[in-house]
Amino acid sequence: MSGMWLHRKFEEHTGLLIFGILFVSAIGGLVQLLPILDQESLETAEANTRPHTALELAGRDIYIREGCSVCHSQQIRPLIAEVERYGPYSRAGEFVYDRPFLWGSKRTGPDLHRIGGRYSDDWHRIHLLDPRAVVPGSIMPAYPWLARRAAPTGEDMAARMAGLRLLGHPYTDEDIANAGAELDGLMEIDALIAYLQSLGTGYTEAGP
Amino acid sequence: MSASVGGVGSTIHSHLFFRSLYQPAAAFGELSRREPAPLGVFFGHSLWLLLLPPVFAYVGGANLGWRLGAEQPLLLPPNELLLISVGYFLTLVFGLFSTALISRWMAATYGANASLGRHLALITMVGEPLAVASAAHLFPNVLVQVLVLIPTLIWSMNLLYRGIPIVLETPPERGMLMASSLVAWLLVAAVSLLGISMSLWVLGVGPLLGV
Amino acid sequence: MTEVAPAKVYHDTIVIRLIQYSVIWALVAMLGGVWLAAELVWPGLDFGQSWLSYGRLRPLHTNGVIFGFGVSALMATAFYSVQRTCHVPLFLPRLAWFCCHAWQLIVLLGGLSLLAGHNAGKEYAELEWPFDIAIAVVWVCFAVVFFGTIATRKIRPIYISNWFYGALIIVIAMLHIVNSLAVPVGPMRSYSLFAGAQDAVVQWWYGHNAVGFLLTGGFLGMLYYFLPKQSGRPIWSYRLSVLAFWAFVYSYIWAGPHHLHYNSVPDWVQTLGMVMSIVLLAPSWATMVNGIMTVSSAWEKLRTDPALKFIVLSLAFYGLATFEGPMMSIRSVNVVSHFTDWTIGHVHSGALGWNAMITYGTFYFMAPRLVGAELYSRRLANAHFWLALAGTMLYIVAMWAAGVSQGLLWLSVDEIGELSFDFKDIMASMNPYYILRLVAGLIFLTGTFLMAYNLYMTVRGRPAQRATVPAVAPAYGVG
Repeated sequence: MSGMWLHRKFEEHTGLLIFGILFVSAIGGLVQLLPILDQESLETAEANTRPHTALELAGRDIYIREGCSVCHSQQIRPLIAEVERYGPYSRAGEFVYDRPFLWGSKRTGPDLHRIGGRYSDDWHRIHLLDPRAVVPGSIMPAYPWLARRAAPTGEDMAARMAGLRLLGHPYTDEDIANAGAELDGLMEIDALIAYLQSLGTGYTEAGP
Repeated sequence: MSASVGGVGSTIHSHLFFRSLYQPAAAFGELSRREPAPLGVFFGHSLWLLLLPPVFAYVGGANLGWRLGAEQPLLLPPNELLLISVGYFLTLVFGLFSTALISRWMAATYGANASLGRHLALITMVGEPLAVASAAHLFPNVLVQVLVLIPTLIWSMNLLYRGIPIVLETPPERGMLMASSLVAWLLVAAVSLLGISMSLWVLGVGPLLGV
Repeated sequence: MTEVAPAKVYHDTIVIRLIQYSVIWALVAMLGGVWLAAELVWPGLDFGQSWLSYGRLRPLHTNGVIFGFGVSALMATAFYSVQRTCHVPLFLPRLAWFCCHAWQLIVLLGGLSLLAGHNAGKEYAELEWPFDIAIAVVWVCFAVVFFGTIATRKIRPIYISNWFYGALIIVIAMLHIVNSLAVPVGPMRSYSLFAGAQDAVVQWWYGHNAVGFLLTGGFLGMLYYFLPKQSGRPIWSYRLSVLAFWAFVYSYIWAGPHHLHYNSVPDWVQTLGMVMSIVLLAPSWATMVNGIMTVSSAWEKLRTDPALKFIVLSLAFYGLATFEGPMMSIRSVNVVSHFTDWTIGHVHSGALGWNAMITYGTFYFMAPRLVGAELYSRRLANAHFWLALAGTMLYIVAMWAAGVSQGLLWLSVDEIGELSFDFKDIMASMNPYYILRLVAGLIFLTGTFLMAYNLYMTVRGRPAQRATVPAVAPAYGVG
């Protein structure tokens, strides 16, 4: 078999083997990733989708820090039961300002993509500090430290927003300059709640 | 339950199968001295054992309804329940025969005895604790099933590893290899079953799904 | 060709050290896993401490198992086998020692940084950018040592196990570098270069193939060395292993998008991921058949070595996991299984049944040989075998039951199309399964403790044997 002859070449030359593995393993990735990274519709925001405000961004980073996405997805699949339970299914254009994406792979708790506006800020506050006070039998951890720690400073947020602007998020100088005022006097829990309340509001079925 | 049906050249008696529940080593040893006819084993013993789980499932399901874990029990109409029980029975029969046949097919590789009757009897003995423990189906709550059946399953796997070298007269090391190969087959069969039933459910057989 | 100097010996102390590190990480990370399982039963077990909180402990568990236990074991076995299959001592042994210790430092500090909340937010790539750079550097050093040893080999053909270790090193480097591309905005914070749906496709290209090339390919390298070695027979079919290797390297990389069925990514990429996942079954099982047939033809030599039991059983679970994976990538199955505990069960049938078992087998094989002593206790090893099997089975079945219940109940609707069950009621009913899973984890962890004790007593106070490099038959020598 000619394949075996070819393989013998690879198996006797270290450099060729390295190159062979690299080449053969790269094909699949290139075929999938290049078109996806080139597809403009995946980078185009929905009409109502806007970048996270400084406060929401701070909240999102806390969401990542506490590993919320380990148990909560942010991805509503286009299935009857799922749309009924959580709301309109998720559109790619709603996630263009999400770095990294937080769709998750496991639901130990419910999906959160359309959680924004579903509950009051007060409900979230109680729920985050003592989940079982509002949802008996819940196994979600409590996050008491979020109420004790001050939200990030404006300076810190300005650096983060500048980084995101580098990646193409349309923050104005004014947005960045105002970050401090937006976060002034707030605690981490306020930022997280602001983020949760913003979730899923980037799309309305009625259109813009 | 496994009344000895005479004829068809069956040379093993039902007491052997009872014995395998509490003295497995001795039962395996006795089986290794017999050459039972496959049909005799099946109609005399396996068939009756295989009937137990579906019957228990039907009775339990009809009386109490299946609790998959959530509040309300899932009460299926009797004819649908019957259909599921029959399907369950056929699956078990298929499982028994396929495992026995694969076991016999592997026998050559592992230098084991190749009489189909013995393979069938061995697989029946290995599965017997599970058939008995399927009485848990009378209480159709998934948790009860898991609590009762998993320890039994591990016991059955243990029986498989112990039984193969004795009954099929192969050295323990080869028996170990063969048992592991059979475990691989059983795991794959189990997960296939899971996959097939999920697909059927999604396609509209069984409980209503909003997909 | 130069004659091999008789005084040359293999570098084996580094192998012993890596095994020790690997066992320590196994204990730490699995204990973390058991703790997490307990937190799902008693959420108060974090005692209000942020670093003990579920969301911070879980990445420690996954990273500890994959990068601490797994990679240390892979380095140990790669260093052990590459010297013996190439008939030369390690290339640049000091660099090898650097890899060994730097890697442990990365896992240790990385683990602490995860507990402190420095999380990049990508599954299995949670470590922040300074660690990403450190990982890339150490990985390149690992590659230099490994391929350097191969390049200086005294045997003309490169042995099969080394293809797999080589694929592990090359592909993981590629995946890690691309997926970690990010803009740093602080000493321990960065934002991914990719956003949203595009990030999702890149991430699962990485995530799936980290599983593919590290947890499957790397461990197949183990299999291809230790199985023939232990049974004293060559691999059953050389041709099959060649075919399976290239098919594996080619097709695995395509399968990532099956993690994104029905998600907001284009249909074509989902379908492609599904089809290639099913294709993947062929090379996966070809390897399994090759392994099973290799031991089957050489059983007489195996006797009662406990290492064999683990390796053989690991093949059975490998068969299960590599079948279950493609099956779960079929959309009509995935629609039920996605987001449920079935996924967790699937991961563990691979991680406990395949990765941990084969690693335990190779450790039981290597440790006595490295120090020239008998294994301290065969009875303990046997007890470990049954604990590992029982723990894995209990874990898998509990998660099957939990996952299928979740999937079906979430999607259940009544005659008029309304949801039948409330989410929190469904999840409240999972409690018993989570208790079972906790028990399963405890059983498995107990077995691992037995092994740690057994290996410790075996190597305690004994230096590495001075294994000399044998002469090479001229027919196989480097021209």
